[in-house]
Amino acid sequence: MTQETRTIESTWDLTAYQFKIEADALNLFIKGTKDKKILGRKCHQCGTVYVPGPTYCRKCLIDIDQVVEVSQEGVLDAFTVNLADVRGIPVENPFITCTVKLDGSDSFLMGTLEGWTEWHSVREGMRVKVVWKDTTSGALADLSHFQLI
Amino acid sequence: MEKVALVGYKQTKHTFESPVARERIIYELVKSLYKDMGITKDDIDTFILASNDFTDGRTISEVFTVPRIGAYMKDETKVEADGLNAALYAYMRILSGLYNTALVIGFSMSGSEFRVPLTQAYTMDPAYERPRALINYYSAAALQAGAYMKKYRFTEEDLAALTVKNLENANNNPYSARKEPDASVDKVLGSKLLYTPIRQAHVSAYADGACAVVLSSKKMARKFTDKPVWIDGVGHLMDTYYIGDRDLLKMDSLAGAAKKAYKMAGIKNPRKEIDLAELHTNFASEEPVFTEAMGLFKPGSAKDVVKNGESRIGGSIPVNPSGGPLGANPVNATGLIRLAEASAQLRKEAGKNQIKGAKTAVVHAQDGPGAQSNTVFVIRR
Ligand SMILES: [Zn+2]
Repeated sequence: MTQETRTIESTWDLTAYQFKIEADALNLFIKGTKDKKILGRKCHQCGTVYVPGPTYCRKCLIDIDQVVEVSQEGVLDAFTVNLADVRGIPVENPFITCTVKLDGSDSFLMGTLEGWTEWHSVREGMRVKVVWKDTTSGALADLSHFQLI
Repeated sequence: MEKVALVGYKQTKHTFESPVARERIIYELVKSLYKDMGITKDDIDTFILASNDFTDGRTISEVFTVPRIGAYMKDETKVEADGLNAALYAYMRILSGLYNTALVIGFSMSGSEFRVPLTQAYTMDPAYERPRALINYYSAAALQAGAYMKKYRFTEEDLAALTVKNLENANNNPYSARKEPDASVDKVLGSKLLYTPIRQAHVSAYADGACAVVLSSKKMARKFTDKPVWIDGVGHLMDTYYIGDRDLLKMDSLAGAAKKAYKMAGIKNPRKEIDLAELHTNFASEEPVFTEAMGLFKPGSAKDVVKNGESRIGGSIPVNPSGGPLGANPVNATGLIRLAEASAQLRKEAGKNQIKGAKTAVVHAQDGPGAQSNTVFVIRR
């Protein structure tokens, strides 16, 4: 069956929105990155360490306020080599995005991975460390990348 | 058939600007409801959130809120409509026999973040209504209000008196966002005209806030409370989206939904058998149209109803004894609040607004421009 269709031109004004978010987890995290530290929160009931750390434990549904610093070294958990952009066009300089489980944390941090020359040689489980920008300002971008050890 | 009871309810003190984010609002509310009931999240079999990506301002909005109500790694769904529809969904899930308990929650930041008229404008019919910006939720309600007032000689003064009745009830409700101790007919008549005959004072109080209820199967209900409120009848109908295809005065979808709920609850004469009504009115002018479509008052009788105080606390059928959405309209929670408020009445927990001897209540929620979709519950103690 065929059907005639037509397109209606319209606009969508997104300035209609303001958005209030809970700031605690992000604020703690970037307070840490400014001093080149990785900070999170630990649940006193179940022991889960969240990085970044919200002020409640999603497993126990209780408030948590124990701030912990975790290691700047950890394990490469998962990664993907970015060979194309989101439209499928090949990129000139492929790069790796990855998740890393820092020692002492129960959650994963995301970032880019450096320290490799041939991406076929990168393996899950490799040890990595945090590399900071020379000057940190208290922003997510303070954490430059993860480096294979 | 298995019966379903409301066994717990709680709402926030609604505000025009919450000092905390929505995640914190619902976390605090749900935790305190669990505490009041002496239960934990593990007593809940299924969690149902009422939220709408459009009005919440982000896609898949519940991903941020699910962990805050104890639903992490639990059975969870979202109903993209008013919270009373989420309660209807919870009711059906319990009737399926697969679940004994359900937490239902609706929440909103429509006081401070979600600018109601702006966002709702994008929900209008894209072929006929949106391109020319001919109509919005306000003007749809204004068309209906004007038609009713003209047909039944319901005057601006009558509408103002009805508005004041609701504002007085809201003043006595500790959860209302809007408090106008000096509310008067003159003050309403002096408020800004928005879309004739609708004035600013007739508009519900868009607010930040939340409401949560716990529903239970009959066999579990007594474990949670000795004051269960039974959901004895439900009805849900949707009219056409395009306003030009609807009779704004007849409100077929609301009349039909009420009829279904009454039939299920064995109600033959709603005017005699219903003790109170909690209605989701976005505008004061909707109250006469809705109550008449629901068979609570005679068609066209609003002038007398107002004059004789029949819809006041102490009248034959008090309508919105809580003050209704004129006191607080946290979009998506508003209909669920009607269920909580009516349950409070039946459980004799309604404080200053308590109606003596209330045993049967009718509860209503709407969605869409000009109350396109309507849900009705009949509840009893
Ligand atoms: Zn925990």
